[in-house]
Formats: sequence, C-alpha cells, structure tokens
Amino acid sequence: MNKHRNNHISPAFYLMVVPVAALFFLLHTVPFLKGIFYSFTNWKGYGNWEFIGFKNFLQFFKDPSIKQAYGFTFQFALSATVLVNVLSLALACGLNGKIRGKNLLKALYFLPYMLGTLIIGFVFNFIFGNIIPGFGKMAGIPGLSVNILGTSKAWLGVLFVTVWQSMAFNTMIYLSGLQTVDKDIYDAASVDGAVGLQRFIKITFPLIAPFFTINMVLSVKSFLMAFDQIMAMTGGGPGTATTTISMLIYKRGFDGGQFAYQSANAVILFLVVASISVFQLKILEKREAKVN
Amino acid sequence: MKMKKMLAVGLTCSLAAMLAAGCSDSGKTSGKSSDSGVTHLEFFSSKMENVSTMQKLVDKFNSQNTDVQITLNSPADAGTVLKTRMTKDDLPDIIAYGGDNIYTELTEAGILLDLSDQEVLKTINDSYMQMVYDINGDKAEKAYGIPFAANASGVIYNTDLFQKAGVTIPETWDEFIAACEKLSAAGIQPFELSFKDSWTILPSWNSLAPATQPEGFLDAKKEGTATFLGTHEEVLEKYSKLVNYAQTDFMGTSYDDGNRSFANGEAAMLINGVWAVPEIKKTNESINLDMFAYPASNDKSKNKVVSGIDVMLMVTNQCKNPEAAKRFVAFMLEPENSQLYINEQFAFSPVEGVVQEDASVAGLAKDIADGKVTDFVDHYYPNGYNLSAILSEFFLNKANGMDESENIAATLKKCDEQYDILNTR
Repeated sequence: MNKHRNNHISPAFYLMVVPVAALFFLLHTVPFLKGIFYSFTNWKGYGNWEFIGFKNFLQFFKDPSIKQAYGFTFQFALSATVLVNVLSLALACGLNGKIRGKNLLKALYFLPYMLGTLIIGFVFNFIFGNIIPGFGKMAGIPGLSVNILGTSKAWLGVLFVTVWQSMAFNTMIYLSGLQTVDKDIYDAASVDGAVGLQRFIKITFPLIAPFFTINMVLSVKSFLMAFDQIMAMTGGGPGTATTTISMLIYKRGFDGGQFAYQSANAVILFLVVASISVFQLKILEKREAKVN
Repeated sequence: MKMKKMLAVGLTCSLAAMLAAGCSDSGKTSGKSSDSGVTHLEFFSSKMENVSTMQKLVDKFNSQNTDVQITLNSPADAGTVLKTRMTKDDLPDIIAYGGDNIYTELTEAGILLDLSDQEVLKTINDSYMQMVYDINGDKAEKAYGIPFAANASGVIYNTDLFQKAGVTIPETWDEFIAACEKLSAAGIQPFELSFKDSWTILPSWNSLAPATQPEGFLDAKKEGTATFLGTHEEVLEKYSKLVNYAQTDFMGTSYDDGNRSFANGEAAMLINGVWAVPEIKKTNESINLDMFAYPASNDKSKNKVVSGIDVMLMVTNQCKNPEAAKRFVAFMLEPENSQLYINEQFAFSPVEGVVQEDASVAGLAKDIADGKVTDFVDHYYPNGYNLSAILSEFFLNKANGMDESENIAATLKKCDEQYDILNTR
C-alpha cells in the first residue's frame, strides 16, 4: 500500500505540464525545426524551391555583410553586457542600503522594463532627433546639434537606450541576490575590519555568484539577438552601421527574398548563442562551486 | 475549497475557449462562391493610403451591379500577405498592386490572366502600357495588368519662397545648381533632406539615373554585361553636389520631420513624389506648393518626369467568374471613376483625357499628359535589392570626410556586388 502511494504521481501535475508542453512544441519547436529544414533549400518564402544541401552555409562564410553584422553584434553585445552589469550591480548595492524612499526609487528604476522596447526606441528616436539637437543648437555645442542616430556613432545612441532599459531587470536580480546575504555576515565582516569596496569584493560579490551567473548568461544572449531597439531607432542604418544579425535576418530574409539563406544564418546564430551560453554556464558554475 | 475548485475549472475553460477562438480560421474573405446567382469576388488592394477611395468605388459598383458583389480587402504589409497566399494557393480574384518587381514575380508565376483583348485597353495611354510590357517577366507584350493610377516623382517646391528669391523653374542641371545658389544667397535653405529614413534617398537616384545612364543599361545589367561601376559615376557626383545645399543634419532628419520643416517654410525644395504632398499639407494646409520635373541633365530632352504605375489591376487565374471580374476592371477605368480616384489621391490617370487638375502638382501634369515620362529604375532592380542602404553609406562616408572618388568607386562596386548576389540566386 505504501509503495503504491510513493510511486503514484498526482495527475494534476501532468494536467499542468502536458498542455503547455504541447503548445510549446507546436508553436515553438515545430517552426524551429522547419526553419532548420528550409536552411537546406533555396526557398524565397513563396514559389518553388529545391534542396541545395549545405550551399547556404558555404555562402554564409564568404558573405561580407554577414561578417560585418556578426562583428558589430559582438561589439555591441560585449559593450552592453559589461555596462549593464556593472551599472546594475552598483545600483543594486545602492538600493540595498539604508536610504530614504527606497521603494519609490525601486519602482522608478524598474519603470523602463515595463515599457516595451519598441516604444522606448520610438521615444528616444524623437529625443535624439529633436530634443537633443534643439538643446545643442541653443548651447552652441556642434557635437550635440545633430541627431546622433544619423552619424557613424549611431551605435552609441542605441547602446545608451539599450543599457538604460536593460538595467531594470538586472538590477532586480542583483537586488534579490543581495537580499539573500545574511546581515550577520556583514556584522562579522565589520568586526574583522572589512568595509566598503573590500567588503564588496571579498564577501558580497562571491555570495551573489549564482545571480551573477543568471544575469551574465541572459545579458549576453539577449544582446546578441538585439532587434527591437535597432528597428525602432535606426532601422539598421545609417547604411548598415547598426545592422545586427537579427536585423540582417529580418531584412534580407523577408524583404530580400533570401528566406532560406537567412534561415541558415538563423541556425548558425542559434548555435553561436547556445554554445556561448553553455560555455558561460560551465565557467560561472564552476566559480559558484569554488566560492561556496 | 469549493470556490477555489470552481475558479480553477472556470479559468481553464476560458483559457480553452480563447485557444479555440484563436486557432479557428478567421473566415476566408475570398468569397468565391456564388449563391442564388450572385457572384462574390474578392478585390485585394495593396495600398493603405487609398482605402477610403477604393471603398467608394467598390460601393458604387456594387450598387450598380446586383449580380456581382465585390469585397475590398486591404491588409497591412500587402506584399508579404500576397506572397504568403500564393504559397497557400489561395489567390484573390482581383488584385490592385503597384507596377514594381513584385508584379514581375506574379507574371513569372503564371497566375495572372492575359487581359490584352479587353476594350478598355484602347483608352490607356501608350507610355503606361509600354511600362507594363517592360516590367512583365520576359517583357512579354501582354496585358497581365492594366494601369489604373500613376504617381510622379520630381521636385516639390514652395512657390512663395521661389518668388521671394526671384528664382524660376530650372530646366537643366546647371540651372538647378544656379537656382540653389540664388536661394542660398537670399538666406533660404534650398533643400530639406530626410536621409534617416533611407528610402527618401532613392527619389534623386531614380531621377538622375535614367537621364545619365547608358541606353539599355537596365537590360544589360540583368544579363550581366554591364556594371554600375563605370556608368553611374555622374549620378553620385551630381547627388553629392546637391546635398551640400541641404540642412546640416540631413542624415539625422526623418521623413516626417523633413516634411514638417518643409511645410513650415524652412526650405524651398523637397525631393520626393506626389505621395508626400498630402503629408506636407497635414502640417500646413495653406502652403503654396507645386512640382517640377527633376532637371537631371543639361540635355533638356533627357529630363523627364519619373512616373510609375502606382496601382494596376489584375485578374488571377483562380477567379471562378473572370467575366464578372473583367467588368469590374472596366468599371474602374471609366473616365468618371478614374477622375474620382486621382482627385482624392493626388495621382495621375493613365486613361486618355482624364486630367489631374490640382494646382499642387500642376507643374507635372503637362509632361505626363504628353507622355514625357520615364519609369522608376528601382522597379527593374531585383526584388530585395537594398539600394537605399548602399546610398546611405555613401553619404555617411561623405560626412566622415572620405575622398569623393574613392567613395564613389567603393559605393558603385557595392551596388554591383549586391545586385549580382540577388540576380543569380
């Protein structure tokens, strides 16, 4: 009787998991597999197609616009990840301390996350195009009198907006991480004379290692796939100066009739992001274990 | 406990219901059925700007013809929707689409009926029919589509500012530059450019290229016997000179901001097509503007109005009642109905005798009526060719101080490379 009880899994669990798993499979996995299938063809998205094997992948390595897109995306993702995580961590430490209006500030800093990326992009498009040049002209600063999104430095404008918006989520994760640190540890540390930066590096930071792992992996992944903010602010321009991999796939794949070729691009992007994430997890989890 | 259970069940049911609703076929709009003798046809229209006018015409037809009822379907992103429907083999009965490379693809897919035997063709201006033959796959001289409305691209100018500076309409390139100089001297900014929306870089190219490229370039390029490098330097040299007369931050100004600035009298000229006129008037109803043909060359005979087929009407081979569809097409092209459309849409009519009388585009009307038109060259480039991005980069390089001839050579080389990739695929 007891043995039967232990092995019996309540049907409620299956009821909760199976429908969602089925939906996920249908709406996510099946299109994903279809995409991989089409990457071996020359389908334009409509009309006739035929199998061309690995031709798309061979062309991929010879294509200069792909090289440029990957180069820019890595540059962007690296800068964004570093900036977002450093600033979020600093902000989280600040919000964790004894300051007045803590809850109000938390809500304020979290606001950007609530607004859609596209909306923020459009708003900043207006700010960069009208408000900042207006201010620059009044103050007589030539550098600020033009829309930064129309210059070679357009990526800095996009970076600024991306960092501003992404900080919210990362700060929240770091904050919850900081709150798991037992206050007693800080007391013990102050007894031993460790304060300020030293306390942070030697005690706080190692203790929030798992949260650091999550943030790093998610940051890199989402910045490598950056699309919304680029679409809203520069459309990949000027020229192709801010064209990320996702922008390239979208533009060339749908408008450009290169559906199958860009599917191959998407497959490779998936492999790149997956391997980077796995690599990160391995390294950071080793670090977590070492620290704990 | 019972409440909780009921709540859980209730929520699950509503979730399931929403799922079912979301997955169900949202009703096919293509009514190919004919019940009790009435034929229902679907009219698929690609432009969002002319929906209300199209609906007026459809309603008029429906009231006059009780045995044929037309339903207008005008989705967003029509090109993609149409292509998707092609793959599903679910074609509309009648299509209204622009005369661009998507139309060419449709002709090559063999899904359009040949309307060459239709009476109404006799009323269409020859230069526009020739455009149709030129963009047909294999350039077949068959009327797979009949032109319904034409647009025009050139230079939109503020008549008040021209008068103030004492500038007359330039008819050659040299006169064009001289006019810019005169405007600058009078303290008026000659151009308002909006290159942040890179498609607005194309109108000048579309005006400069046909007047300066070698005869038969477009065909030769398709066959691979010609290159942009070596033939289009003049286009970029002239274009580069022109932008010096625009506002400092033309790379960072968007289409909307540019229109607004022009409407507020901050610049004398805007290089775009008739479609921009309603946008400008939204900001400033009372602006006095007109258009003139872009004087791309010093040879007056080469300076034509760039005019393409904005809307053409086609009937697909999936239409169960082609005769009824052809009746609708003929109806649309009746002078009275064509006039209604062009009056509301600032377009030009390919039907002989139907004249666009609006003062805002008067400068072009005569040339168009005389057939002094040339098509948009970018209609002949392969589908997906991103010329605007290439040109945007040209101007970015220029702003960064790159040597002009180096810049031109690099840009034209890129034009060739990207064209060739798409041409052979």
